[in-house]
Order: sequence, then structure tokens, then C-alpha cells
Amino acid sequence: MDTFVLDFMVASLRIASPLFFGALGGILSERSGVFGVGIEGMLLAGAFGAAVGSFLTGQPALGVLASAACGALIACVIGFVAVRLGADQMVAGLALNIFVLGLTSYILRSVVGGGQAPVIQVPLLPVWPIPFLAEIPVIGPIIFRQQPLTYLGLIAIAPMTLLLFRTHVGLTLRAVGENPMAAFAAGAHPNRVRFLAVVSGGAIAGLGGAVLALQQVGTFTDGMTGGRGYLVLAALIVGRWMPFSTFLACLVFGAAEVLQLHLQSWSLPFSSYTAQMLPYLIALTVLVVLGRSSKLPAAIGVPYR
Amino acid sequence: MMAAVGVYRRSGGWVRAFIALGLTFSLTAALIGFSGKNPITAYEAMFRGAFGSFDRVAFAINKATPYIISGIGVALCFRAGIINIGAEGQIALGGLAATWVALAWPKASPLIGIPLAFGVGMIAGALWSGIAAVIHVGRGVNEVLATLLLNFVALLLVGEVLHGDLGEPGAGFPQSPLFEPNYWLSTMIAGAQLHWGVLIGPLIAIGGYVLLRYTTLGFAVRVLGASRSAASYAGFSVPQLTIKLMLMAGGLAGLAGVIEVLGIHYRLIEGFSSGFGFNAVVVALLGALHPLAIIPAGLFFGFLEAGALSMQREVGVPSSLVAVIQGLTMLFVLAALAASRRSS
Repeated sequence: MDTFVLDFMVASLRIASPLFFGALGGILSERSGVFGVGIEGMLLAGAFGAAVGSFLTGQPALGVLASAACGALIACVIGFVAVRLGADQMVAGLALNIFVLGLTSYILRSVVGGGQAPVIQVPLLPVWPIPFLAEIPVIGPIIFRQQPLTYLGLIAIAPMTLLLFRTHVGLTLRAVGENPMAAFAAGAHPNRVRFLAVVSGGAIAGLGGAVLALQQVGTFTDGMTGGRGYLVLAALIVGRWMPFSTFLACLVFGAAEVLQLHLQSWSLPFSSYTAQMLPYLIALTVLVVLGRSSKLPAAIGVPYR
Repeated sequence: MMAAVGVYRRSGGWVRAFIALGLTFSLTAALIGFSGKNPITAYEAMFRGAFGSFDRVAFAINKATPYIISGIGVALCFRAGIINIGAEGQIALGGLAATWVALAWPKASPLIGIPLAFGVGMIAGALWSGIAAVIHVGRGVNEVLATLLLNFVALLLVGEVLHGDLGEPGAGFPQSPLFEPNYWLSTMIAGAQLHWGVLIGPLIAIGGYVLLRYTTLGFAVRVLGASRSAASYAGFSVPQLTIKLMLMAGGLAGLAGVIEVLGIHYRLIEGFSSGFGFNAVVVALLGALHPLAIIPAGLFFGFLEAGALSMQREVGVPSSLVAVIQGLTMLFVLAALAASRRSS
């Protein structure tokens, strides 16, 4: 196969992986009936935890753990305000995002940097080629020559699908998202289920931040997620809240991002700004084409009291 | 009975706002202390930066004006249950359109040029939110997602034109050339920054209040906000209302963008609207979605930002604390709202 196409696909998977972690977290949250608008903030908190944790301890593994912890911690805010108290989920998510944007920037400057914006460089996680499998033509270099967290994301698809559709826990989770009253009648505690779903989703989304900080950028900058959390929301709708289809949707957005980078290197009659619109325009177009055919969980956005 | 409920709701709004602000500032004080600075010194510097001199006050009022105007548009939509987050992009488009007018007819008399820039800016903002409205109503795409994604496109559009046709050659920063002085909104007092555009905020607020309180459209908005099915049962067309409100909110946001460009910068600058969209939402919520209460809420955030810049200069507390304050205020207002709804 053409090396250009090959490189393109490797890069697409690479760039799609933070989105995919965000999307897995979003699936848990939205399937239980809580909008994932706060995913953007959880990704950013995760990126912060990963970069700062890894920088301060010198241990990338601790950075990864910190990212999940930060994501979960931030998700607790949504769990309390939107689930426990039943506030508007959309607006609570947006509030959380701006709060995290400010908080990470503030802590970086005041606590880590002593008043100035510190430059923290952390080494990127290395590529782990899987012995033998990496030698398979075409598939090998695309799937089996990636960084560790990307494998984790790929491996997570199967257990996540099983959890949602083949276990009692998954059934309860989906029931709470479709009809919390009925789930309550069947003995579940809808708000407890939602809280747990949001917080564990936050931990997974936090890992997405680690992918961004430790596998792609190697540092933390203010607002470095740059709206990826919102693309995730579009990917969820396109993928109909199914792990594998959502993964494919994330891949499409990843590919759009890579295409955008390539467009910038070709001399075209417009500047890089127009190229950067590509992922957002694709997301909008796909949403418009899908229209009402993608059905949200029935009780999403409705607080349970 | 209804009047009593109304009074309770309104007084509840003020109480909620103050409790939310109190909690926010205590938590923020803890954050300042956590970084080894004295919160009292920091808040003092903030207060001086906001109210210390006439220039500071003028600066803060100038800052508050676009928040108030776009916040009222957001509040109208939220009142009807439409979560329009698109103010940021609509403000950007309004500023972009006004810039286009100012650069296309540089010699126009102010009596023609400025109204034209205002008109075109408002239309641009309305069209931008109109796209989101049509996608939302026509194809059932969630309005939050539609407006959010369009924000990114709008901001990039501003970047694109500043690197192309409207950019200042050799400026080294993405900005347009300075407008001819006939496009500058004149200042109220010679030598002070306060421009006449700041009067538009209160005017819009009164207009919004009258609209909500005394017109059929306002009644429809309130019914729609209370119950979607009740609104259609009462014979209001929900899609039409949604589009109307989104267009109004977009027009107001566009207006805010025009004022920012013609009143403050006298040119288009990349990122001039950054954060305005969230501010509009915070201000609308803190003002309990009441047009008149949005004036003090907007002023509060104007003074807060003016103060935070001084705090950063004098005490070394990073001004990103403002975003923390905004997010926390929003969360506390939401929590208080939800808690009061639970108890009633």
C-alpha cells in the first residue's frame, strides 16, 4: 500500500484516540441519562493531571493514574449538581468546562509556576510495536505500532460492549437512561446509577486527556483540548452510543483532523484557518444528514426525583 | 396567589445570586490562599482595579456592555427552553460584518456609515444563529451542539479574513487596519474611554423586559419555557417561535460585536470575542433570566474582569481566576435553582 495512505491511517487512529476515550466516558454518562457536555472539562482536567503528575513525579504511569483521578473528581461536580440536585445538565456541563479551564490555568501558574506560566515538558509515551503482529502487512503498522494508551482504547471496545449489552449492570444502566421510574420499580436507584456512570465516565474521559498530553503534545497548555469534547458529543450521536460504531465515528473526526494538517502543507488558496474548520464542518454535516434518525436515550436530560 | 409566586421567584433570584456569589468568593479566596497569596490583599487590589478611578470604571462599563446585550438574547432563548450557546460566534460575525462595512466605505459620513455597520452586523449575527436555528428546527440537531460547533467555525472565519482580505499587511498580528475616525463611536466625556454605545445595554434590557412582560411574543416565550406541549396546544408554533428567538438572540449578539469593534478597538482583532459567549450565559443565569436584572449581573462581571487584571499586575494572582469565578458562580446558581425547585 501507498506509504501516504498508510501514514494517513496511522495518524488518524493516533489523533482519534483522545476523542475515543472521551466518547467511551460519554457513552456511560449518556446511556444512563446524563448529557456529556462536561466531557470537554473532564478531558482538560485529565490532560492537566497527566502532564503535571508526570512532570512532578517523573513517572508517566503516575501521570496516567492522575489523569483518571482528575477526570473522575471533576465529574463528581456534574454528579452532584446535575444528578443529585437535578440542575440543567447542559448548562451544568458548560459551567464545569469554564471552571476547569480557569482552574487548570490558575493552578498551573500559581502553584506549579509560582506566578508565571511554567514550561513543563514531559517525554511522550513510546510506541510499543507488538512482536509478530506489527509485521503483518497493512494492519500491522496501523494497529500494532501505536502508543500504549491507544491499545488500551482499542482493547476497551469489547468489554465495554459486553458490559452494556450482556450484563445486569449494563441493563440497569440503560434502563435508568430510558425509563428511570421503571428502573426504580425494578429495584435500582436511578440517581446512584447515574452518579456512578458519570464519575466512571469521567475517569475514562480523563484518560483521554492523558492520551492528548502524554502521547501527542508532551506538555499542558491552557485550554489544550480546544473543543474536542464537543466533537465527542457529535461522535456519540453518529455512533448511536455503541462502542464500536462510536469508535468509527471518532476515526472519521481523527481523519478530518489529519486531512486538515495535510491541507495546510499543500499550497491552497486559503489559509490554515479554513482548513481547521474541517472537523467542525464535517461534524455539523453528519449531524444534519442524520437528523432525527439517531435516537437519544429517552430519559436523557430529565432529572430523576 | 400567582402574584405571590412571582414575588417569591423574583426575591428568590436575588437571594440565590448573592448566596452563589458569596460561596464563589469564599472558595476563590481559599484558592488564592492556597497559592501563598493573601486573599484580602488580592481582593483589595481587585476592588481598586474595578473602582479605583473614573478610567477604571469606564473600562469596566465598556467591558460589561457586550455581556449585557448578548446576555439578554441568551436569556430570551433560555426562558423558552432553548439552550443557545452561540453568542460567541454571533458576536464574532457581528464584529466581522461591521469591519467589512467600515473598510469598504471608509469615507462614509458617520450618520450613514455607523448605522449601516450596526445594521449589517446585527443581520450577520442573526444569520449565523439562523443557521443553527434551521438545523435545530428542521433536522432535530441538538441546539447546544449546533451553536457550539458553529462558534468554532465563526472564530476560524474571523482568522481567515484577517489573514486574507481584511488583514492589515505587515501588522505581525492578525488584525484589520484601523478604521477611519468617522466610524469610531464617540466618547461621552472628552478624554475618557466611555463611549455612547454603553447606553444601548440598558435600552435593550428595557426592550427585553417590555417584550417578555407586555407582548404576545413574550407570553408565548413564557408558555413555551413552562411547557412545550402547552405552547403548541395554545396554538403557538414552536418551530416558528424557536427560529424567531434564535434570530433575535443572534441579532443582539451581533450588535454586541459591532459595539465592541467600533467602540473599543476601532479595528477587528483575532479573538476579540473570546469568552464572551460564556460570559453572556453566566450573566443571563446570574440575572435569573430577567432582562433588567441582567444589567447589574453584566456590570458585575465587567468590574470583576477590570479588577482581575489589576490583581494580576499588583499581587501576581493569575487573572485566569476570573474563569474559575465564572464557572463557580454558574454552578452555584444552577445548584441553588435546582434545590429551590426540589423544595417547592
